[in-house]
Amino acid sequence: MTNFNWLLDGSIVGLYLLVTMAAGLYVRKYVGKVDDFLVAGREMNVYLGIASLAATEFGIVTCMYTAEAGYKYGFAGATPGLAMAASMLVIGYTGFCIKPLRDSGVITIPQLIEQKFGPRVRWAAGVVIVLGGLLNMGVFLRIGGQFLVTIVGLKVTSFNLFGFQVGYLEAMMTVLLVGVATYTILGGMLSVLITDFLQFIVMSVGLIAVTVLVLVNVGWEKIVTTVETNYGAGGFNPFVHPDLGWQYVVFQILLNFAAVLTWQTTIARVLAAKDSRTGQQIYMRTSFFFVCRFLIPGIWGIAALATLGKMTNSLDAMPTFLATFVPIGLMGLCIAAMLAADMSTDSSYMLSWGSVIYNDIMAPFRKTPWSEKKGIFVNRTIVAAIGVFLLFYGLWYPLEGDVWTYLGITGTIYLACISVLLISSCYWKRANSWGATAAIIVSALIPAAFLVLEKTPSTREFAKAVGPYYSGIAAYAGAAAAMIIFSLLKPKGGQEV
Amino acid sequence: MRYFWLILTVAAVVWYTFVTAYVAFKGVTDIREMLKKLADKK
Repeated sequence: MTNFNWLLDGSIVGLYLLVTMAAGLYVRKYVGKVDDFLVAGREMNVYLGIASLAATEFGIVTCMYTAEAGYKYGFAGATPGLAMAASMLVIGYTGFCIKPLRDSGVITIPQLIEQKFGPRVRWAAGVVIVLGGLLNMGVFLRIGGQFLVTIVGLKVTSFNLFGFQVGYLEAMMTVLLVGVATYTILGGMLSVLITDFLQFIVMSVGLIAVTVLVLVNVGWEKIVTTVETNYGAGGFNPFVHPDLGWQYVVFQILLNFAAVLTWQTTIARVLAAKDSRTGQQIYMRTSFFFVCRFLIPGIWGIAALATLGKMTNSLDAMPTFLATFVPIGLMGLCIAAMLAADMSTDSSYMLSWGSVIYNDIMAPFRKTPWSEKKGIFVNRTIVAAIGVFLLFYGLWYPLEGDVWTYLGITGTIYLACISVLLISSCYWKRANSWGATAAIIVSALIPAAFLVLEKTPSTREFAKAVGPYYSGIAAYAGAAAAMIIFSLLKPKGGQEV
Repeated sequence: MRYFWLILTVAAVVWYTFVTAYVAFKGVTDIREMLKKLADKK
């Protein structure tokens, strides 16, 4: 059952797609250099930056896992949003790390890391960033497709294409990716910024309209009562929630602080800003958006619990609820908003990981400088290759457990070491390549070991007892300790790694 | 705690509505300036 009307709602979605694609393709003519392609010529100002940052960091996957958090933990599930908003405000206000980063004129974080720790550490950091980033992004498409087929009522159906049975989910994923990849490949960061701006407006109008509808029709009292009945005090306070606790809060603080400092798609907005002051303003003024990012879909998730009750698949609860709750007409806007959210995230993510592959991982292969034309061609090829990888990874990887935990663990592989490397390269004179290498190894080993223990039948119970939050905290603490110990151990004039 | 979440929800909806309208208006100017500078560079 769904309220989606193919004529009215389909036309709204179609119009949105047409305008976005046209705008994305139109600005490709301004791309003349690699700098234009990767950082929009560093000409981005505050308001475009706010729109782009907000649109990038809110995709369908975000909406799905934050709604799932609301459905499973009540209001306490919005805790990561508070941690992220506070981190962004503090970092934006003080300029901690982001000011020296933008002032250095680099395109990626590993480029700055090289100045302190040498080219090998830069290369290793680039590999860790791309691995963590792509594993993280690998589930985006499937979850986006899952949302769309559920909300338009196409679930568990397929169609015949030239004699082959094709699932709607896979078809939806492919169409979504091809559309996004087309303008990203042609226009790079410029197309991403322009489409992000349009997508921010469409996404925000849709999010606000549906939230107001939920608050009016379901009602605040029913939402609060549902949380109280299902989760008691723990539904409002993560410290007393039986599945969360202090370790969850500490892990969220570490994770979100590191993400604000080093997540390539977030930091790309600082690097594309016209100066460091603009970058700081973008951070400060966008910070509260991250409360909305978790709270608004969280309320949708709680409303789904209030209306539908407990479901086996908690990820499906929110789209199943919206499919019959949102009326015809607004449904088109809601889907356009979700498409906007997803397209802006996918395009920015593909470009960001591509920029690290080109700028850092391929750096040793550019002994002599490449022409701008060749550089842009290589970048476009990398973005296309990432698109192909995402399509196949998204189809093959079976996602288990809750999405936010998966994203948190895969993200920690990268965030723990890169945040330690960035902070020490900016503020600690004694930091050196021994410490950097040890930090990379430790921060990759701990979350990877947890994932392996969790998947191995004989150690599954042990992994469950440890839990993702303790292992996440251990990764951040371990990376910092490794940096300090091994930097101090390296003798003056000791051999480089 | 329920009042904390109530205040935060109201603040989120009001703030988000205001920022969407403001950024939609000011962002157009930013785009125009950015494209003009890039065209001049070329």
